[in-house]
Amino acid sequence: MATPGTMIAAVERCASEIDDLDTLVRLHWPRVFRFALASLRDPDAAGSVAQDCFLRAYRSRQRFRGECSTEAWLMRIAVNLIRDYARNRRLQFWKRAQTSAVDLDAAGQWVPDGGASPESGAMAKEQLAAVWNAAGGLSERQRTVFLLRFVEDMDLLEIAVATGMKEGTVKVHLFRALQAVRERMGRSQ
Amino acid sequence: MSQHLSSLEVSQWMIGERTPQQEQHVRQCSQCSAELARLEASLALFRGSVRHWSDRQSRVPRPLAPTRRSRWYPARPHPMRWALVAAALLVLAAAPIYRNAQDRQRQAEIARADALLLEQVDAEVSRAVPRPMEPLVKLVSWDFTSTDERDQNRRDKTRNEEIR
Repeated sequence: MATPGTMIAAVERCASEIDDLDTLVRLHWPRVFRFALASLRDPDAAGSVAQDCFLRAYRSRQRFRGECSTEAWLMRIAVNLIRDYARNRRLQFWKRAQTSAVDLDAAGQWVPDGGASPESGAMAKEQLAAVWNAAGGLSERQRTVFLLRFVEDMDLLEIAVATGMKEGTVKVHLFRALQAVRERMGRSQ
Repeated sequence: MSQHLSSLEVSQWMIGERTPQQEQHVRQCSQCSAELARLEASLALFRGSVRHWSDRQSRVPRPLAPTRRSRWYPARPHPMRWALVAAALLVLAAAPIYRNAQDRQRQAEIARADALLLEQVDAEVSRAVPRPMEPLVKLVSWDFTSTDERDQNRRDKTRNEEIR
């Protein structure tokens, strides 16, 4: 159980981390960028969203009171930025998504080299492509919670903090997202 | 629990909603455990492919805010630093030599111009009339001899003609 002392130490650690922008970027850039990339499927857009995320976090660091981890706080800013980006630039988003289709295809075809047989490798690629396609077809909220859970390994409470939803709502969206993905995977078999 | 997990129960399982009976069933049922393992493997593949793609695309930006060091000093010395310094020293050393040579050349030119000017002045001073009046001298024949001399000359001329 956390004592007041450990809680204060954790808050101070978070505050000092946020005060140093270079450290903040170095520690958390990969995760924020990855989440933005998986959500927007456009490396350029993901890069600008990630940069914006860190700048906003740095500028509003005075308002951070340490109620959650630095990571959850950053992800919350990233979730809002991605939502705004996708809404405001829907047309450009789809155009860009088409131009980066080669990269996306490559990502959807990626299978780690584990000495698998050609048959199982081909099957794994099919399954992977099905998940990519299914994730692309999810609603914005379902995709967000799906990516946070199954790509970023965040638990339901962390996802609730990052998305501003209640834990029960997160659970419902996650359940529906999984059903949709499994249905798509079943169709591809 | 003897029944296999339904589709809804599989999804609930994946988000952590599971009962002890379901857990016991999965431990004993190869079909359900295979179904869950396949789903988990697909999601792990997806996670791996996103991370792989992200790692390839990610370029951690330079510091977003300028730091004191980067503002005043380069983070890494330029590889041609010593060559640049040597070139700058060479230019600085060569500058006075070049300027000396130029000064000497300029002084020599001034001396030549002075000599020429002096020659011109000498020539002007030694003239009978100023240069602009020289055409008039050619038109009018000036005779600076006296009247007596002129009479004597005239007489001599007449005498010479008579003798002839």
